[in-house]
Amino acid sequence: MNNILYNNLPLLILTQVVSMLYVVTTFHYGIHFFREKENAKNYKQPLLALTVLTHVVYLGLLTSLEGYKLSYSTVNLMSMVALTLAITYVFIEFTTKSDKTGFFVLAFAAGAQLLSSFLTAQMPSAGPTFSGLSIGVHLIASIFGFSAIAIAGLYSIIYLLLFRQIQRNKFELLFQRLPNLEVLEKLTMHAVAFGFIFLSITLFAGMIEQKASSGTVTLIEPKLITLVIIWILYGASIFVKPLIGWDLKHMAYLFIFLFVFVTLLIMLMALFSPTFHRLSL
Amino acid sequence: MNIISVGVNHKTAPIEIRERISLSEVQNKEFITDLISSGLAHEAMVISTCNRTELYVVPAMHEVTGEYLKEYIIAYKDARKEVRPEHFFSRFYCGTARHLFEVSSAIDSLILGEGQILGQVKEAYRIAAEVQAAGILLTRLCHTAFSVAKKVKTKTKIMEGAVSVSYAAVELAQKIFSNLSMKKILLIGAGETGELAAKHMYQKNARNIVITNRTLSKAESLAEALGTKKVLPFESYKDYLHEFDIIITAVSTKEYILRETEMHQTMMKRRLKPVIILDLGLPRNVDPDISKLQNMFLKDIDALKHIIDKNLERRSAELPKVNAIIEEELIAFGQWINTLKVRPTIVDLQSKFIEIKEKELERYRYKVSEDELARMEHLTDRILKKILHHPIKMLKAPIDTANNIPSRVNLVRNVFDLEEPNQQH
Repeated sequence: MNNILYNNLPLLILTQVVSMLYVVTTFHYGIHFFREKENAKNYKQPLLALTVLTHVVYLGLLTSLEGYKLSYSTVNLMSMVALTLAITYVFIEFTTKSDKTGFFVLAFAAGAQLLSSFLTAQMPSAGPTFSGLSIGVHLIASIFGFSAIAIAGLYSIIYLLLFRQIQRNKFELLFQRLPNLEVLEKLTMHAVAFGFIFLSITLFAGMIEQKASSGTVTLIEPKLITLVIIWILYGASIFVKPLIGWDLKHMAYLFIFLFVFVTLLIMLMALFSPTFHRLSL
Repeated sequence: MNIISVGVNHKTAPIEIRERISLSEVQNKEFITDLISSGLAHEAMVISTCNRTELYVVPAMHEVTGEYLKEYIIAYKDARKEVRPEHFFSRFYCGTARHLFEVSSAIDSLILGEGQILGQVKEAYRIAAEVQAAGILLTRLCHTAFSVAKKVKTKTKIMEGAVSVSYAAVELAQKIFSNLSMKKILLIGAGETGELAAKHMYQKNARNIVITNRTLSKAESLAEALGTKKVLPFESYKDYLHEFDIIITAVSTKEYILRETEMHQTMMKRRLKPVIILDLGLPRNVDPDISKLQNMFLKDIDALKHIIDKNLERRSAELPKVNAIIEEELIAFGQWINTLKVRPTIVDLQSKFIEIKEKELERYRYKVSEDELARMEHLTDRILKKILHHPIKMLKAPIDTANNIPSRVNLVRNVFDLEEPNQQH
């Protein structure tokens, strides 16, 4: 089998270590959120830092095998999504000083990383590699864009759960532990704004690359069409609030829908269109 | 050496009995001074609050028992007709220490984890110290109790969460809005309940509080007290409802003062920005149908009581942690008390050996040079230190039960032929 990791045992082990670290970190965040255990509170942040650091080292080593070029494969994309989610969450925790939503975001990141390391064993090769500024920006911006969509979706779910608990006088665990509705609204809207910016960068960098490729990449291609649709929906959602006057409760449904829609599209494309814009360099 | 506590509290006696037994600060000072000056007690302290009057005494004679102290305080208050000894609890020795630790850490309070009791215990100790009724035992007991209360406050969540309706209202508002200082609040009704809610809001940095009341002067005086100085005439406050993020109603009325239709219009004017209405009135002041409006959080007293119940549940769940802290401190306190009992024996033992050493060295004072005498003294000190090390270590070793103390002390006293100690406090 031509799997890049099978020929490199330390890297194969590191893949599993990264996954395990995500699981352990998520577990600690969960234990602190649900049980408020002191040990979990003390260990969770160092564990998160260790996880992010190990993941960066792993991706560095992985790309080093191909001369530090980015490679396009579902496995790598999922791993990158996990990393960007974790980094974004670190940023949120650092700026808002609230560590109460960590479990929900990191659980999603852990899921993506676990799937990535599981699929690593199934994939015959690491996928085509690319170099160049515009393609690099295009790939990285798209990954950050998806992470922002995921975070907006996750925070929208948390917002609705808390909203319902308050409306129904169920002052349970979520009421006690989650940040207030206004903070959740701000986090969601920030994630949406960042998501839109990253998707715009993805499109812009993609257009530059398309011109540079002299037509090798066609514009009538499922991934590009999907990206444009997502970009329009996301951009429209930013203006829905001030123009139509939608409250965040309704916006939250829209963001959850977009998150599910984008995730399903990515999964479908990974199954039926596994190449990078029909390129196989 | 014993510490006795007797008293009435919310667990042992109804309020009319507690009222009958309670002591003012002046009475408190007079009562404990009497106890000491009459030779009944070495040390004494009284905690007297609305929920308890408890007496802590280090007796000076065997006759001073729990029963004796109950009768003493009943007689002092001249309350024989209403109050009986059965209304009192009594504790002894470690039981007393445990009780004071439980009282200080607010787990013996009517409202579990309430924040006032520690201050009241500190005040009781201050009074006892002022009239010189707090000696070594009560001082150590009280300081350990303060330390227990501090540990309980920092290491457990026994004091977290609102346990009053007005505070629960603030807790709820903070779960919807992140910064109360940025929100505009309307208080309808300047009565006691409204005032309390407004004060709690103010404590959480809410500064934009506008008050309206049927009697305008009452609204003005409350606004003055809060420092907001913002009032609205009762006849026209409805014209400004859309400006407010939080509306607190606490008026005495048989009809709803806020109805669904007017709040619907208010929400339209606000472009559906969320509003919290906290209906603290009884009967309710606000039409319950308002809760069906979009982005409207209407909460009445029953809803707020749900928050209180949940908070009390959570506080109760902290009890094992609190008890573990108390247990740990109780053991340390018990061991400290036990060391008090062996201290005279250690002193006697050391004195006896020093006396022997000095006598023996005296015999050689003129037979050897000064240098040799100094070396002999040094050598003897080292030998004595080694000989005494084990018996002193044995005496000082943690003693878990007071029953073991006499046997240890007697053993050492018999082996080293020490004289019987004087009975001291």
